[in-house]
Amino acid sequence: MRTQPYGGKLFASEIAVILLALLFLVPFYFVAVNSFKSFSELLVDTSGLPKHVEWHNYQRAWEVLHFPRALRNSILITALSGIAMVLVSSMAAYRLLRRPTKGNRLLFTMFIASMIIPFQAIMIPLVKVGNWFHLLNSIPGIMICYAGLGASFTIFLYHGFMKSIPLEIEEAAVMDGCTPYGIFWRIVFPLLKPMTVTVLVLQSLWMWNDFLLPLLVLQKPELQTIQLATNSLFGQYMKQWDLALAALVMGILPILVFFLLLQRHIIQGITAGAVKG
Amino acid sequence: MRRWLTSQPMQQTVFVGPALLAYAIVMVLPFLLGLYYSFTNWNGVASHIDWVGLRNYKTILTDDPDFGRSLWFTAKFTVAVVLISNLLGFLIAYLLSKPLKSRNWLRTLFFMPNVLGGLLLGFIWRFIFTQSFPALGQATGFGFFNLSWLGTESTGFWGLVIVSVWQGAGYLMVIYIAGLTNVPSDMLEAAAIDGASGMQILRNIVLPLIMPAVTVCLFLSISWTFKSFDLNYSLTQGGPYGTTESVAMDIYYEAFKNNRYGLGTAKAFVFFVVVAVITLVQVSITKKREVEM
Amino acid sequence: MRKWASVVGVAMLSGAMLAGCGGKNDAQQETQGSGAPAKEVTIKILNFKVEIAEQFNKLKESYEQSHPGIKLQIDTILGGDDYNTQLKARFASGEMPDIFNNEGYTNLNAWAEYLEDLSDQPWVKDEVELAKEPMTRDGKVYGMPVGLEGLGFLYNKDMFAKAGITELPKTLSQLEEVAKKLEAAGMQPFVNTFDNWFGLGFHSANNAFAKQPDPNAFIQGLNDGTAKFTDNGIFKDWVKLFDLVIKYGNKNALTTDYNNASTLFATGKGAINMGGNWLQPVLDKLTPGMNVGIMPMPINEDAALNDKLFVGPANNWVIYNKSPVKQEAKEFLNWLVSSDEGQRYLTKEFKFIPAFTNIQFDPADLGALGAEVKKYIDDGKILGWHWAKYPDGVAQEFGTSMQKHIAGKIDGDQMLAEFQAAWDKMKTR
Repeated sequence: MRTQPYGGKLFASEIAVILLALLFLVPFYFVAVNSFKSFSELLVDTSGLPKHVEWHNYQRAWEVLHFPRALRNSILITALSGIAMVLVSSMAAYRLLRRPTKGNRLLFTMFIASMIIPFQAIMIPLVKVGNWFHLLNSIPGIMICYAGLGASFTIFLYHGFMKSIPLEIEEAAVMDGCTPYGIFWRIVFPLLKPMTVTVLVLQSLWMWNDFLLPLLVLQKPELQTIQLATNSLFGQYMKQWDLALAALVMGILPILVFFLLLQRHIIQGITAGAVKG
Repeated sequence: MRRWLTSQPMQQTVFVGPALLAYAIVMVLPFLLGLYYSFTNWNGVASHIDWVGLRNYKTILTDDPDFGRSLWFTAKFTVAVVLISNLLGFLIAYLLSKPLKSRNWLRTLFFMPNVLGGLLLGFIWRFIFTQSFPALGQATGFGFFNLSWLGTESTGFWGLVIVSVWQGAGYLMVIYIAGLTNVPSDMLEAAAIDGASGMQILRNIVLPLIMPAVTVCLFLSISWTFKSFDLNYSLTQGGPYGTTESVAMDIYYEAFKNNRYGLGTAKAFVFFVVVAVITLVQVSITKKREVEM
Repeated sequence: MRKWASVVGVAMLSGAMLAGCGGKNDAQQETQGSGAPAKEVTIKILNFKVEIAEQFNKLKESYEQSHPGIKLQIDTILGGDDYNTQLKARFASGEMPDIFNNEGYTNLNAWAEYLEDLSDQPWVKDEVELAKEPMTRDGKVYGMPVGLEGLGFLYNKDMFAKAGITELPKTLSQLEEVAKKLEAAGMQPFVNTFDNWFGLGFHSANNAFAKQPDPNAFIQGLNDGTAKFTDNGIFKDWVKLFDLVIKYGNKNALTTDYNNASTLFATGKGAINMGGNWLQPVLDKLTPGMNVGIMPMPINEDAALNDKLFVGPANNWVIYNKSPVKQEAKEFLNWLVSSDEGQRYLTKEFKFIPAFTNIQFDPADLGALGAEVKKYIDDGKILGWHWAKYPDGVAQEFGTSMQKHIAGKIDGDQMLAEFQAAWDKMKTR
């Protein structure tokens, strides 16, 4: 973009954007502030600062949710599924793009089209099929579920990104006697790094916050994720907000840190060509 | 070198095979199984399943005002969310592509809402709308806060729109930023030297060049908003009086609460076809306007 | 490095495919479990009441101690939609719990083919009459009531005293008097929870069903077209009560959920709140020791008809008939209602009003509301719960129509006409 001198006009827009950003942060304020209030205080006075900081909420939530176990499960599921998704989808996207036969073009369209299937429509058959293939109640099982459910979007992102990778590099590698697999893993895959980071972050956000799939697929308490555990704080007549908000804060922190560490790369990843989809 | 290993069928298997296998198991098979159920009167549990042919589809088309109503709501909701979140996302991206001092921070902040997700997002916003807005209203006297938030048709609708935009704009912003960085700066400088105004530059140079980003953003926001479930479920529960019930919710209720799984899946397929047609039209329209760089 | 990464990746994927087949062992264990309980067996229970999850875990420990070789595995899922979804998912996955919950009537019809016939169980003879109906089909008993719950207007006794109300209202006009007195004393009469469909479609509309001369005949009449909501006097009366509650209610009731309403009620910002003894733990948490009572919900001037609470079985335990441990499951349920320890948990810890005549307990253990409901039961001043008899999906439509009425979109007659349309539509599907 143009390089402008930093003047009054820019300053005004900076102020405007900052104000808008603060508005975007308001809900986080509510979550954070209320997580330190006692149950009755947070229902009576929602917006003020806590009169007395209740660390107790966190301690109770930690115990009730079996937080270490839930955290381990969430991390394991998100990380492994993310890796599986990246590996299988990047390979598929590569092939679908580089060899656009009729069949492959159809496959690609199919992958993209399924992005609009509402999950609620397939969830019960999914459990049935999952049972046939022994995908239930195991972390590798849910990994395959996520790889399959996330394949569409991931292939979509990689497919767009790969268009910006010049063919010449690969052609040169063929001359050097690389196999197609070698070309992909040694040359193309490393070039995909920005997009890989993007995919990991975006899909992790989804999987970390997902509720319905784990609810259906992980029925054993020892496999409970943070989202599942947190939900047990909401009864029909009483939502235990004091614990739920504390749990929420604890649940967001890991993914937030992950995101903050990698966020610079997301923009890079999408910048480098995803928009050519 | 072993030839068969690098033969085309083998390559196809190795590269596409794993993804296709996982996809087939968790998407295609359940989808087909669901399609089968949509021709039955299965209640979701019974061992006995009757084939009812097209009856469920006939019910949907002729005798189901709820489905029509939820489809209409979803369509309106999608139009509002797609328009506003794309405009806002683009605006923020445009501003952040200028050399602002805090822009790296701001990009992160605008994306942050995506960290919160799922049902809890709706519960928290419900809390804000029903508890904090009245408190703010009392403190400030602004009529905006004193509306009966989520309690009337229009506040329910706009409440959902606000939250969706809040969450979606940051995501779209990222893609628009990506699009904007691809706009060559010498082109803009040349235009500025030729005396083009800011608006002219935006309309005649920037917009055509970021059409690819527009295509992607529209596709993503349309398909996400159309499928909207979690937020409606937790923020308004479809209320007041069912006016904010999305199609995905209607399907869920029909299949699980009403024990009419067959009818529920039939609705899902009708819905799938509708959304597929709409997104196809959208992609083909915006694709035509893309300019090769 | 890169090579390494790709090798690991492939290995992990193939590992995943292989490990994805781990389910077989479980199946084997299950078939072994049937028959001889010599080895350790596990009874899987899917509990619907989040509110008793902690107490249930205590019960688990003491049961496992007194019954060596038996393990309880208790999963608690939020009641309502998610519970039924999860149950269906477990069914589809072949991982059915051994003991789960069923509300009876239409829900019993959906599941009946998978439920164990419990007619021969020792507790059946002690079961109170009103709890039997929901789980009886073709003369067989399929479920054990979890406990009884009473539904009515909760009221703040201190606020009533302050407003000079000495007698509980038994008719609609008396109720209006009470509301006026409260208002005159500067207090908000009603706190309403109109944001969810079940409070409206289940709890509120039940008033008119239960006060029919013969509720079952009325529902039958709706099903075969001989009865109508629109020309039913009781329903027209009930609309008057509904309008009264709306008129003297809090603002923004359409977005007031149970948490908000309970908070308003418990902190004295409203004197009357429709609910039941199940709200006791919520109130205890907000205002410990709150001086609260429960009273009838009159719809007309017939004091004898109106001086009654609505009492029904909260939910029922049922046993999966293909469960390998159904013998142990039956034993567990029997223990719950016949042993001292089990009874103590039911009344003292879960605070359920027992649905069995043989259970002796101190009403005070149940809390203020439970004790009052118990008194109404003992005096026979009760009517039933009928919402589980509606065709599937009707209650939600009722809730929608009632919300429209609250918002002033339709009048009372139109609301009843919509009830009729909803019933006619849903009964045929």
